[in-house]
Amino acid sequence: MSDSINFGIDLGTTNSAIAKFIKGDVIVFNNPLDYGRSSLPSVVYYRKDRIMVGTKAKEYLERDPVNVVGLFKRKMGTAESYKIKSINQSKTPIELSAQVLKELKNFVNTGEPLDSVVITIPASFDLIQSNATKESGYMAGFEQVVLLQEPIAASLAYANMKKTNELEDGQWLVYDLGGGTFDVALVRIKDGEMKVVDHEGNNYLGGSDYDRLIVEKLIIPKISEEYKFKDLEKQMKSAKGKHNGKYYSLLNQAEEAKIRLSAVTSAEIIVERMKDDEGADVDMEIIITKSEFNDLIKSSIDETIEMINTILTRNSLTAKDIQFNLLVGGSTFIPYVRERVGEALQIRVNLEIDPTTAIASGAAHYAATKSKKEIEISKSDKSNYSLSIKAAYNKASKENDELFAAKILGDIDGLFYRIIGLDGGYDSGLKNLSERINEDLPLVKDTFNEFSFTVYDSQNNVIETDFKTISINSGFIISGQPVPEDISLEIDDSNNPGFTKLDLFIEKNTILPIKRTKTYPINNHIVKGSQDDVIKVNVVQGSHLALPASNKVIGNILITGNQLSRDVSKGSDIEITISLSESQELTVSAFLNMADQEFKDTFNPKERNTPIGLLKEQVEDLDSKIATEIHQASELKDWETAKTLEKIKKELGKVAEETGDLTADDVTDKRYQLEDKKRKLAQETDNTTKFKRISKAKFLYAQTKAKCFDILEESGNDHEIKVYEGIIAQEEVFLASKNPIKIQEKSDELEYIIGKILWRTPDFLVGVFGSLLGDQTKMNDQSQAKSLIDAGRFAVESKNWERLTEINFGLIALLPKGTKDKITSKIGFGL
Amino acid sequence: MPEFRDMPEINTSEQNKINEILDQIFDIERKLESVSEPNSIQRNINRLKDAFRNFYARANEFDVGCYYENPIGEPYDATRTNVEARIAGESSEDLEITEVIKPIIRRQYKSGEDRLPINIVIRPGVVVVESKKKMEEKNNE
Repeated sequence: MSDSINFGIDLGTTNSAIAKFIKGDVIVFNNPLDYGRSSLPSVVYYRKDRIMVGTKAKEYLERDPVNVVGLFKRKMGTAESYKIKSINQSKTPIELSAQVLKELKNFVNTGEPLDSVVITIPASFDLIQSNATKESGYMAGFEQVVLLQEPIAASLAYANMKKTNELEDGQWLVYDLGGGTFDVALVRIKDGEMKVVDHEGNNYLGGSDYDRLIVEKLIIPKISEEYKFKDLEKQMKSAKGKHNGKYYSLLNQAEEAKIRLSAVTSAEIIVERMKDDEGADVDMEIIITKSEFNDLIKSSIDETIEMINTILTRNSLTAKDIQFNLLVGGSTFIPYVRERVGEALQIRVNLEIDPTTAIASGAAHYAATKSKKEIEISKSDKSNYSLSIKAAYNKASKENDELFAAKILGDIDGLFYRIIGLDGGYDSGLKNLSERINEDLPLVKDTFNEFSFTVYDSQNNVIETDFKTISINSGFIISGQPVPEDISLEIDDSNNPGFTKLDLFIEKNTILPIKRTKTYPINNHIVKGSQDDVIKVNVVQGSHLALPASNKVIGNILITGNQLSRDVSKGSDIEITISLSESQELTVSAFLNMADQEFKDTFNPKERNTPIGLLKEQVEDLDSKIATEIHQASELKDWETAKTLEKIKKELGKVAEETGDLTADDVTDKRYQLEDKKRKLAQETDNTTKFKRISKAKFLYAQTKAKCFDILEESGNDHEIKVYEGIIAQEEVFLASKNPIKIQEKSDELEYIIGKILWRTPDFLVGVFGSLLGDQTKMNDQSQAKSLIDAGRFAVESKNWERLTEINFGLIALLPKGTKDKITSKIGFGL
Repeated sequence: MPEFRDMPEINTSEQNKINEILDQIFDIERKLESVSEPNSIQRNINRLKDAFRNFYARANEFDVGCYYENPIGEPYDATRTNVEARIAGESSEDLEITEVIKPIIRRQYKSGEDRLPINIVIRPGVVVVESKKKMEEKNNE
């Protein structure tokens, strides 16, 4: 019995499949209930006494729409559930996915136990969606669920078909247009190591959208033309609508028509068994032509092309640098997709793998590598050397040690070998070379491990062979389980009071599990027992360079005064620890040093809640923010920025309009689509206005620098001049960094020098003393204040500046709490 | 692929000082194991360790620095070059690390963005090893 996982599942939006790796080959299991097909429609049908999954369920979509559910993968990770009439219960997307997974188990006819499995997810799935997928696996009875991103699965399927040693170093794209999700990934291969370099995607774009478009843009208008309906579209799409059932049945017909259009130039859809508002029987045949269909999907295909261009630009690549574009996913059967994508990008379209089974078979290939026994024979070149070494070992491992095995061809008499860890942690010593050798090599976790392999003769002279180094990546198995997006902490931005910024905690593509701790000064006094004084720990996911608003909150802790054992002062430390387990469980802890108290919580986000009301509000907020930005840009005569923002605003207008049209019980996944769009627009706004923030930061820097220079000339000491020169020397780098935060940091450092010098300058000290005199009446201890002020006057007269500094500090300490510092804080701590 | 020759130059006197501090932190941490105290001193130790772990890290970089590793209880044989062992007792079969006098100090660095970190032993640990059999006998006595 093999101890590798071997089973891989493609849990698709419309279709799913299961495959197994057997002795170097992958078989995709056939659907035992649907002869000749290897896929299972991801549709679940609940009846009072049974549950049906797959083809049969799909058939009932028309007859019994209130009891049949499909496309639930798109709602994975949301709080939404589906009401099932027959059993009078609601089912979550997780439960529904679990049903599909259970059904897939029946495909396996080899009679072996199935407790571990690799399940694929789109590269664009966030933490919440990934967790939800995992959960459904456990619910289906798997004990071990390993997630794999779909583009990697597709690449593995292709690489294994080609056999790795035929693949040249280089890069390609994986274009995965499935039933409900679109993913494009840039995959790079170097020295046999394959890696996803970048990806883009839209979780709400795919074949089923085309079905929806056919119904909404072609069929419904045509029915409305012939028959009398009051807002047919709304009646069809709302759960309570009169024709909601018909909507699903038309979707089904639209899908069939779409498939036919791949082969023929027109397809017909028959609409019947439906009455219009005046009671007339609807009976019509609607013809859809290929060109009508192509026009319909053009903008969505262009959107996918746009995403590819984004990836190319971001990685400074041109079409020439890409070997090919590997098409997978059922929707790539559409001839127009192939033509348009090939034409627009001028990258060779690669149709070599079966788009429907590629993901499942890639998943199985990956599942096979999860075995420590699984060995990879590396290339060998026998020429030139008297000895040829055939080495077999895992190039990637999560174990503490890895077995290295080799077969030696040639005359081995009287020879020795030695393996040395280049990290300095291992030395096999000289050992007799035999025909077969085995060594357990210790690995350092999550790093790159390299060992030298050397053969010696009896005089300890090195014998040249065709094999010299053993390289093993620990914890880095092609895709491992990387964090899909940056995870950051929202902190107060001390430079923009009242605003927050993000501090990166865990960068994108870090391999799980991971735990990190950072410490921040608290910027507010928190009085024990108070309700209002609050510290907010918001852990968010998204780009750390973006504004906090465009990130998703994945975990948060709220600390109020009445949870504290004592007062906590401004300036004391809060220690934040964020850890993400291998199963993507997020643990956040906040430790208040002064109170010696820890607040800890574990989040296992599986649901994303998007009430339509909140969405509308967020869209409005963003809209007014953009309006302000446009106004500011126009005032500065920055027409280019204003124009880009206008464009974003227009896009947002569409989102607002569509959001406005949504009923609170809208059954489609439109709200999630719209939320994603909104977040993307927020990100674009952020990018567009970043230049403004950069130039503002640069301007401030230049000002501070001039001020610092002047004051240094007058009264700077050697050390201060050295620090100043150090900052100026790095100028070129940080000014070019395009990161306003970095530039700001340097201004702060200069400010610090200025402050230090000022506090020794008589004029400044006298000025401070003068302003403190004005606050005398407010001071906490009047008699002490009076004696300090007398002493201060004397110090000014006698020009005792050191004494005056002390007195100033003494007086500041007497000021009431509120006057000392007015910091607007939202979060309660920051940098 | 990362390469070991990309390794940055190490400033020996600076590294020796870091090693000295890390040895002290290790000692404090170990002494703390047998003490029950209400002040969560371990937290401060973790902070110190974290600071060294990120000693060479620039903004938004992580785990570029030095750390120590306690090999207590791990098996020992002659292939282990990350510790210098004193073998106690008569038997040299089935050895296990029973006492750690100085921990293993490692340094981690990245040879480029997007690359797996490389890890090297900066100073081998100093340990006492004993045969497991011998220890069992001792325990039985």
